Amino acid sequence: MKSKLTIFLALLMAMSLILAACGSGSEPAPAEPSAPEEPAPAEPSAPEEPAAPAEPVMVRVGYQGSPDTLNPGAAVLSEAYIMFELVYDTMYDLNLDGTFSLNLAESAEVSDDNLVWTFHLRDATFHDGVPLTSADIVFTYDLYANTEGYPWMGDYTWYFESVEAPDDKTVVITLSEAIPNLDSQLVWLYVLPKHIWENEDAVEFENVSMIGSGQFKMVEYKQNEFVHLAANPDHPNPPKVTDVIFQTFENSDALIQAIKTGQVDMITEFPATAIDSLKEAENVEVITGAPFAPTVTDVIFNQCSAENCPEGDGICSGHPSLQDRNVRLALAHATDKQKIIDVIYLGLASPGTALLPDGLGVWYNSDLKDYVFDVALASQMLDDAGYLDTDGDGVREMPDGTNPLVYRMNWPSDSIDGPRLAELLGEMWAEVGVKVEPQAMDPDALTAACCPAFDFDVILWGWGSDPDPNLLLSVMTTDEIPTGSSETGYSNPEFDELYYAQSSEMDFETRKAMVWEMQQIVFDDVVYIIPYYDPALQAYRTDKFTGWITDQAKVELSDPSSLVVIEPVK
Amino acid sequence: MKRHQYLIRKFSWALFTIAFVLVLNFFLFRVLPGDPARSGIHDPRLKKDAIEAIRVRYGLDKPVINCIAKVNPVEFGSCTVNPMETQFFIYVVNLFKGEMGISYHTNRPVSEILAEKIWNTILLIGAGQILAIILGVIFGVFAAWKARTPIDYTALLSSLLAWSLPTFWLGIILLFWGSNQGLPISGKATPGMSTMPWTDQWEDILKHMLLPTLTYTIVFMGEYMLIMRSSLLDVLSEDYILTAKAKGLSTFQILKDHALKNAMLPLVTVIAINLGFTVAGALQIETVFSWPGLGLSIFESVNRRDFPVLQGTFLLIAVSVILANLIADLTYSYLDPRVQAES
Repeated sequence: MKSKLTIFLALLMAMSLILAACGSGSEPAPAEPSAPEEPAPAEPSAPEEPAAPAEPVMVRVGYQGSPDTLNPGAAVLSEAYIMFELVYDTMYDLNLDGTFSLNLAESAEVSDDNLVWTFHLRDATFHDGVPLTSADIVFTYDLYANTEGYPWMGDYTWYFESVEAPDDKTVVITLSEAIPNLDSQLVWLYVLPKHIWENEDAVEFENVSMIGSGQFKMVEYKQNEFVHLAANPDHPNPPKVTDVIFQTFENSDALIQAIKTGQVDMITEFPATAIDSLKEAENVEVITGAPFAPTVTDVIFNQCSAENCPEGDGICSGHPSLQDRNVRLALAHATDKQKIIDVIYLGLASPGTALLPDGLGVWYNSDLKDYVFDVALASQMLDDAGYLDTDGDGVREMPDGTNPLVYRMNWPSDSIDGPRLAELLGEMWAEVGVKVEPQAMDPDALTAACCPAFDFDVILWGWGSDPDPNLLLSVMTTDEIPTGSSETGYSNPEFDELYYAQSSEMDFETRKAMVWEMQQIVFDDVVYIIPYYDPALQAYRTDKFTGWITDQAKVELSDPSSLVVIEPVK
Repeated sequence: MKRHQYLIRKFSWALFTIAFVLVLNFFLFRVLPGDPARSGIHDPRLKKDAIEAIRVRYGLDKPVINCIAKVNPVEFGSCTVNPMETQFFIYVVNLFKGEMGISYHTNRPVSEILAEKIWNTILLIGAGQILAIILGVIFGVFAAWKARTPIDYTALLSSLLAWSLPTFWLGIILLFWGSNQGLPISGKATPGMSTMPWTDQWEDILKHMLLPTLTYTIVFMGEYMLIMRSSLLDVLSEDYILTAKAKGLSTFQILKDHALKNAMLPLVTVIAINLGFTVAGALQIETVFSWPGLGLSIFESVNRRDFPVLQGTFLLIAVSVILANLIADLTYSYLDPRVQAES
């Protein structure tokens, strides 16, 4: 009796050991080239005619997010835009060096008053075989302009007076005002097939089949799991690979492991802390640089004056010392940006100066000389301005002796850099007698406190920028104080005038000069302190595919510029 | 008669609790701060019209309930408004229709999202629980049988260790180990598999399931083994076991015919309760392994403040825990005649 049970248990344990061994020794499925030591069977050497490879050539990309929706009007996440870039065509394309090139149109003309734009279309076909004509473009632009539930499209189509199609291959856009940056508006207006979208609700349509006219087409979509795209061989500029799969990894450890073990061929992001282990990994190349969609991290000072405090919504409880430029300038001198970059990004980010990030290329004012990190100078400035520590507790007070310089410092609780940045700034500013009360806040609560309520002292936040500088510059205008877009309450009539002038200035050099001057103004007035511009951190395997575009000003390996040209390593 | 009364009483309590949870669920998410129309969109491009349109779409422009227009901050409103035009009653009616609102993040109906995820969770947790129960019972019995020998002490130590391991930590360790063995470490299936024959698909799913199930089994096996062992030791010290020994029955016969059935009772309760939480999924495991289940959707929805999805998920979990408790109560009353007699 005893022995029967023993034998049974021994068999059970043996079974579990066998199962475990089976799991470790299994060959990867042919569709998953994950074994690093043997050449993956699914990727043969590139055939002679790249137009029709016989076997599937799959690129696997790993990332941590996932599109929120495949509806181009309703989507807000950058992952959704990655898919739109690959599956749809637009009138213009944005290149990695910051320039625009015509895509759907072969040529474009503008009338003398800069109000009427005429585009002559090239041949294009949707993935279901229906030809793309000007009627589709008119339908698409009208849809984007008129649908109220689309968060961003209304802004891009703001100046569209009318869009017409005199014939199948011509589109005429009439603007309500002459603007210099029509290309940067059209680059986001993905052209939709009218014969499909006219039967659907603009906001509710999930668009899972994503019929477009781009270089890739949709094969399968599982939200928060993966997106599977296939090459569109009928496109004038077809990709060399046959499939691209974007896989979502919910945690960054899995993502890093996946590229190290070859389960993915490229990752579009990773935390800065993983960079050393990735650099040491075999067959993995790391690339850093300005992101395709540049971002700027900012230290926001509440400097809203009583006259500008919005009626009704405005609480305006900011510390009065922050309205004094001397205080803000002193704090800027007390901030050691290099140390911040070394701690948070292990030295990989670029120090911030201008409001516009360096990724904006020609628009970025590269002449600005950053505030020198000098604690003694900062203390001297505060002393001279009358902010002395009269009671000897290490914290300065206002010139009249009241209201010690104690600032509430908030950041959104989902920010990764926020806590470290707050900690570092608190230490640095304490050296000059300014005390900081750090507190993370729920992003919604933070928005409610920030603007247009202005119920805070210092906020650590950031902006994602458009390729055109208009968006970031608008944040500093007086008009945006009551709308909630201005977080600082900064009001400078000279700046406002320049803003409206540049938004309709057609001559590039003139406009550029105005944009540079605006950056100088807000830099001199220390409206924000900008510690750094976030870098893009991407990595790819060198033993799988070659041809990744890595020599441009911006880094984005998931952009069509790379995915269309890469081919398997022979 | 007694049995019927007992059953009816248990059912009524369960229904009452579910109703209470329904109401609490609704108000809980309205009390939280934040404007869903702006959730995550810190962007000057979001015009006032767009914000208003989003609000109307989610029914947020309606009063919360008669007499109360808003809950955070509290604003009183008209008491005579048509109940069917208030958020609360629309919510209740929709629930009976099986609709749980629309996700703020993806614009898809919440019931669709949850229906997709729930099966993935049940698959993973179901497999994990069954393995944990089988292994936990076997090892627990073995340990109790060999009580106070080195085998028992080893078993005790390892089960304590297993149960106290942080789940996400164990998951990440297994992830590193597994990925170096060539096992997939993310998702439920390899993309592109849906065109292959179903035998290949299931092989692929099982491979993806291996690591998360292993993590789950190790942690829960520890718990079940400990409970089984201590409960069995308790039973083995009873008088009737002594009688059975005196009668000359072998240890195996005693275990099989007398002890196990009584020792299983506490374990049945624990299993039933754990199964109730099955619906919550192993949130940590699903996040570590990117397994597309309910636990992961909770994690993502919390990050994005996607309240309708959270509301729907919480309701599902609450209902399943209540039902599981009910089933545990009823099963216990069948298995143990003493329970019914007392009530």
